[in-house]
Amino acid sequence: MFEWFKTAKLLRENGVLGMNDRNYSVISKCNKRSLYTLVDDKVKTKRLANSICINTPKMIGIIEYQFQVKNLLEIVKGYKTFVIKPAHGSGGKGVLVIKDYDGEKFYSASGDVLSFNDVYQHISNTLSGLFSLGGKYDVALIEEAVIFSDVFKNFSYHGVPDVRVIVYKGYPAMAMMRLATKESGGRANLHQGAVGVGLDVRTGRTLNAVMHNKPITVHPDTGANLMDLKVPFWREHLIIGALAYDMTGLGYLGADIVLDKNRGPMMLEINARPGLAIQIANGRGLKTRLEEIEESYPKELSAEQRVDFVLNNGK
Amino acid sequence: MKLANLFSVRKVLSFLLVLSVVYATYSIYYKVKYWGFSLSPKQVTDIWTIDAKVSFDAMGEDVRVSLGVPADNESFKVLSEEIVAKNYDVVRDKAKNRLVMQGRKKEGKQKLYYRLNIYDDVQNNAINKNKPAKVERPLLSEEEQIQMNKLWELAKNQDGDKVQGVIAAVNQEMMEPTMSLVLPLNHTSKEFAEKIIQILAYKRIPARIARALKLEEGKKNDSLSIMLEAYVDNKWTLYDLSTAKIGLPKNWVVFQRGGVSLLDVRGGENSKVMFSVLKSVATPLKMAEHRAKANNELWGYEYSIYTLPLMEQNALKWLMIFPLAILVVVIMRNVIGVTTMGTFTPMLLAMSLVKTGFVPGLICFSVMIGLGLIMRALVARLNLLLVPRISFVVIFVILLIQVLAIIGYKLNYGIISSAIFFPIIITAWIIERASITWEEEGAMNTLKEIFYTLVTAVVTYFVISSEYVRHIMFAFNELNLVVLFIVMLLGTYTGYRLTELSRFAPLIRKGE
Repeated sequence: MFEWFKTAKLLRENGVLGMNDRNYSVISKCNKRSLYTLVDDKVKTKRLANSICINTPKMIGIIEYQFQVKNLLEIVKGYKTFVIKPAHGSGGKGVLVIKDYDGEKFYSASGDVLSFNDVYQHISNTLSGLFSLGGKYDVALIEEAVIFSDVFKNFSYHGVPDVRVIVYKGYPAMAMMRLATKESGGRANLHQGAVGVGLDVRTGRTLNAVMHNKPITVHPDTGANLMDLKVPFWREHLIIGALAYDMTGLGYLGADIVLDKNRGPMMLEINARPGLAIQIANGRGLKTRLEEIEESYPKELSAEQRVDFVLNNGK
Repeated sequence: MKLANLFSVRKVLSFLLVLSVVYATYSIYYKVKYWGFSLSPKQVTDIWTIDAKVSFDAMGEDVRVSLGVPADNESFKVLSEEIVAKNYDVVRDKAKNRLVMQGRKKEGKQKLYYRLNIYDDVQNNAINKNKPAKVERPLLSEEEQIQMNKLWELAKNQDGDKVQGVIAAVNQEMMEPTMSLVLPLNHTSKEFAEKIIQILAYKRIPARIARALKLEEGKKNDSLSIMLEAYVDNKWTLYDLSTAKIGLPKNWVVFQRGGVSLLDVRGGENSKVMFSVLKSVATPLKMAEHRAKANNELWGYEYSIYTLPLMEQNALKWLMIFPLAILVVVIMRNVIGVTTMGTFTPMLLAMSLVKTGFVPGLICFSVMIGLGLIMRALVARLNLLLVPRISFVVIFVILLIQVLAIIGYKLNYGIISSAIFFPIIITAWIIERASITWEEEGAMNTLKEIFYTLVTAVVTYFVISSEYVRHIMFAFNELNLVVLFIVMLLGTYTGYRLTELSRFAPLIRKGE
């Protein structure tokens, strides 16, 4: 019992943000519930992002009703690769990446060969709400596939390496990159065994890396030295995060950003309740950062000015 | 963050919590004191039923029967009275505490019944304040006076007050032959009492006979015992004639006092009255109305849940335990920090366990979840849409319950048939969620989540299965208000969850 209080005290001293604290003191105070709809629907988010010039994967089309599913081939005409996503999905559920297809066969990024019927079924499932939060009827979003930059080639086992930036009141507060592993099955979820690399918010360089809550230095599957990781176009990454605040008004958000070979950093989605594992990846507490921003960072700066403020002054 | 803002919410809630505690404390005190509620579910109230059977032979004339009855609230509270006297006019003489029954031209054997239900030994000494008239000294012969003085001399050496001394002395002296002058050898207790009264009168101490009944389970056809009441130190005090003890012993009730007879029958002969006693018990909840009435606190009682029909009360009794179960869930999730399947699923599970019994319920539930998961895994390949899929699981669970119930019945094995008590939809959702978690996050995470759900359910079960807790939460339902504010206050708890201490352990940098 006494040991618990001691641990709690040490965590508090290190500025670690707990779940209750996050929900009560941060989310419920910074994020108005009515704003959630802006980020829960990916189609909406994408349109909003495009309206203020945030780079996102180009939307090819949307399938809203069952009768439109058979038009898939017409919709994707002219695109060699595409991605089918549920508009209300979360955590990468229901995302189908088609690398190549001919009239009958579809080749997915994970190496499966699907028939048109399989794809048809997948979209039907999406529409019926199989992948959406709470099982509500959903819309299938079809967008261009990201052509991943070669920079991270050795750092991820399959899957998509993405950068998560926590933005507090418009200021990038903390960042990490999530790398898929064999164990995580190509997914980027930390609790499934993906590697979390904490990034210095000023430089985009590795601070610390963890897998299953334990510090590591090399990727378990590719053997790449995680300490060498440096995200290019770091300022652009942060600007996307800062703009996400302007765009949604969410005081506390997590922006998921991927790096496209040709188009640079692109926003994939915004999370209104980003998790706390980023603290473990960074090896430091988030609360200290939030308090710092709250207390001493200037207000009423533009997104770019805020990013530059962080790049020059942040810790 | 906004600290000032946060503190004000907490302050208001803390204030309300304190307020609710104060209110609940007073209310509990009030219910115990005026309604006789008990803190323990096992406590019962003894109810004594006294049957007085009056019988006599009527002689063809008008009959008037007068029977001494106990005064209300003297040593017991009267729950109800019943008089069975066909074709008699019954009048209650409240001043004298007598029951007067009059009949016209009665003939032959007559039987009248008086039944009294009493409860709660109150030992009220305030009754009986009326001052007695001055006592005349008895006229005595010289020899008797010597005897009298000798007795008083002896009485002085005894323990206790004067009256106790006299009773003890007479009891002692009875063995002496000289006493025959004072008391005949084969005396009745009435004669004995009268003698004592005479001795007390010699010193001008007023005294009188009291007739009392000892309440004993299953007493039949008994008569009353004679006791003595003397006016000492400006108040009437009761004495036991053989032990000289002061006061009315526990479970005694006085029927009549003073010179008048207990039963007085005009127009009849061979009259006698016989007493039978029966004991029964009632819960304090059942007695509450009578007690509230006796204490003039009926108004509050009539607007309480305890006046509702029994069926509603039972439903409420079940409901009243929910807030506590909810509190357990809140603590488990927000303070301990375990993830469960569905917010209140563990609570509903615990409720089912109360009905099925702990071990049978757990076994049966595990079997159901296990079979459900296997079935769900088989169906997963069909790629059904969400609503039909969950509907399939619900129907499967219903069929499973049927099969289990039949098997359980045929094998006479209650464990299996307890399946009926599990909430079908909840069970189906657990299976659905477990199978999705299984696909997405692996077996370990699924088992962990099921395990935590069960742990939370078990903790909740142990809280709500206690008969004691259930009684307290129902009898003192104002406690739910306290629970409400505790839950709200927990809603502002921003400390770490217990599980986070190990989750964030890597973030403790020592020596920095």
